[in-house]
Amino acid sequence: MDRLRRERHVLGAGRARPEEEVAPGPTWVAPCRKPGSGGRAMQRDLGSLPLAPALRARLVGAGFSTAQELLEVGPCELSKEIGISNEEALETLQVIRQECDSDAARMGGDPTSLRTCTALELLEQEQAQGFVVTFCSVLDDILGGGVQLTKITEICGAPGVGKTQLCMQLAVDVQIPECFGGLAGEAVYIDTEGSFMVERVADIATACVQHCQLIAEAHQEEDHHKALETFSLESILSHIYYFRCHDYTELLAQIYLLPDFLSEHSKVRLVAVDGIAFPFRHDFEDLSLRTRLLNGLAQQLISIANDHKLAVILTNQMTTRIGQSQSTLVPALGESWGHAATIRLILHWDNNQRLATLYKSPSQKESTVPYCITPHGFRDVQPPPPSQTPEGSEMNPRKRPRIEEDKQ
Amino acid sequence: MATTMLLLPPGGWLHSSRHSTAAAVGGFGGRGCHHHHGPPALRSEGACLHGVQPPVSCALPPWARGRAMVMLQAGLCPGLTAEMIQLLKASGIRTVVDLISSDLEEVAQKCSLSYKALVAVRRVLLAQFSAFPINGVHLYEELKSSMAILSTGNKSLDTLLDSGLYTGEVMELMGAPGSGKTQVCLSIAASVSHSLKQNVLFIDSTGGFTASRLLQLVQFRTEEEEEQVEALQRIQVAHVFDIYKMLAALQELRHCMSQQVVCSGGPVKLLVVDSVSAVVCPLFGGRQSEGLALMMQLARELKTLAREFGLATVPTGIKVELDIGGYGALEERPVFMSAVVFSSKTNPIELVYYVGVLL
Repeated sequence: MDRLRRERHVLGAGRARPEEEVAPGPTWVAPCRKPGSGGRAMQRDLGSLPLAPALRARLVGAGFSTAQELLEVGPCELSKEIGISNEEALETLQVIRQECDSDAARMGGDPTSLRTCTALELLEQEQAQGFVVTFCSVLDDILGGGVQLTKITEICGAPGVGKTQLCMQLAVDVQIPECFGGLAGEAVYIDTEGSFMVERVADIATACVQHCQLIAEAHQEEDHHKALETFSLESILSHIYYFRCHDYTELLAQIYLLPDFLSEHSKVRLVAVDGIAFPFRHDFEDLSLRTRLLNGLAQQLISIANDHKLAVILTNQMTTRIGQSQSTLVPALGESWGHAATIRLILHWDNNQRLATLYKSPSQKESTVPYCITPHGFRDVQPPPPSQTPEGSEMNPRKRPRIEEDKQ
Repeated sequence: MATTMLLLPPGGWLHSSRHSTAAAVGGFGGRGCHHHHGPPALRSEGACLHGVQPPVSCALPPWARGRAMVMLQAGLCPGLTAEMIQLLKASGIRTVVDLISSDLEEVAQKCSLSYKALVAVRRVLLAQFSAFPINGVHLYEELKSSMAILSTGNKSLDTLLDSGLYTGEVMELMGAPGSGKTQVCLSIAASVSHSLKQNVLFIDSTGGFTASRLLQLVQFRTEEEEEQVEALQRIQVAHVFDIYKMLAALQELRHCMSQQVVCSGGPVKLLVVDSVSAVVCPLFGGRQSEGLALMMQLARELKTLAREFGLATVPTGIKVELDIGGYGALEERPVFMSAVVFSSKTNPIELVYYVGVLL
């Protein structure tokens, strides 16, 4: 009798009579689907949702393939279906719901919104945002105005050529008030090598303040003087947030936690990581893991740079690549790391002279300029006065020449 | 009962737009979509399973089309009721594939369901979920009418690519850092947007997109400001920095295109992804094979977009050293197929047309 009833059921027009023969246990009746109700967002394939691989394997094994199917099932049924605990099932459903909601919210009223902007809008944004000057005008020129915001700039160089000096200079320069052409921002300095010297930063900051004072006296404008009141050595030093990381785990943790820090300190405009190569170059047996971690780090940094509109500076070491007949000095961490940075600057020596080469940039030409490092910081090369005796040529060029040159 | 071979559509969606489309399998030249002209008809028990199939019914709910792995649910086809599903699940049959590939006599006995009912349901499911073979001549005709060739703006590159970028294809650029991949992408985008007046979507995952450089490239092509502004407005830029967001963005694009929403003047004709390796590389290494799965998924999305909507897509990658399944030495290969190879900075740019289907 039961079977006959079921057959008639089946061969009929498919009118479901759910009140009869309702089986106990988890109901598997599909709820009536309103077409178009967030429909597309739910069709996301399970493979494209951020779930743990083991969990995903179980879900696929149980026959689920899209987000919508999962969302129709409650957490209890889900945990029974695939054999995980209730809490895990609840968490998974929450993650998926969040993803689908954010999709739906993005598409919300305007189905064309892909969270994109046109190139024209980007151009306007770029022209409105400033640069971080380096106080070396030729270097600023080849960089197109200075270190760019929303991009990662990598500075590579042999030891002693001036990478840390440049980082410290930039950490001070980002704080220059807007009326003097700066960004009036703050700086985050992540140090892995321990080469950050506060006394040196104090020297650089003092020189910077003096430079601004000279400009203010020359131009005699209202806002210059007002800005100078707040721009002093103490304020500069208090706006550099310094983190010391001793190994790669700490570095990774620091960078992954940076968005939280940045949301509290929204005026930060520069993140400098001094020595990204150092923690990764020793004690790393698994090279593929290293590549993976570095690439993840790069993506995290570029997404921070983009979201918070700040400039990211990384310093890298050099290594020797031994070719067939010669050896060349190349940036460390391998070729795959070369793709991580948007802009690459290589600092090197030429006899006594320090040179900076723009090696990779999406908008500027390759070129090489000289620079020098003075007690006041990173500066242009001034043509030497004709009376100077060539004593420097006897010194070892690898040692920092302690030249007392008076600069502005 | 003879076992029937299911031709599973390779990830293509069966959806009701202006035409009902179905994806053909690789044995017929590998080109994805074709169009059936004519009213879609509902076929049930009388469906013929061999030879050319009539068009698929558009009464399938959108989430179920094109996916034979879908779970059995009431309402999937007339005759499939909730109780039937319960009984089938009790004996381990959860999805359409399970039902179709099982021995119906056994199932009827085990679940105490009517054999005739099961056969009827199976026929309907087969008719709804199988793909259709297509004649090569029809395919060629259709390609001739629907494919377009987008010039890249650079004569020698056009010559190398056999007169330009073909819609419906994925072209990959790979090269060492600093060799010029982003520049090529920018100049192709500028050329398509200005000379061909088509919409371009630029998905940037490295931060290398500089609008001022794009402006320079456009200014090189035209002096008038109006045209420059228009050209820049036709290029949409999306910033995505990890793999899940990129997959979400591509699926959104697919959704927009399938709804035929007109976004400011026309549908997107060129999709540039700079670069896929930036989002995919953090997943390789370690002991998980999840990276490869996600990469394949990304590849599938790009190819589906290209084939279904007639886009030309250009992802860029680096030489990725992949250890595929542990088969010996590491290999250097482009990430996807048919790549244009850029050599390093020291040599003059040698473009080699590498035709190889990696997937």
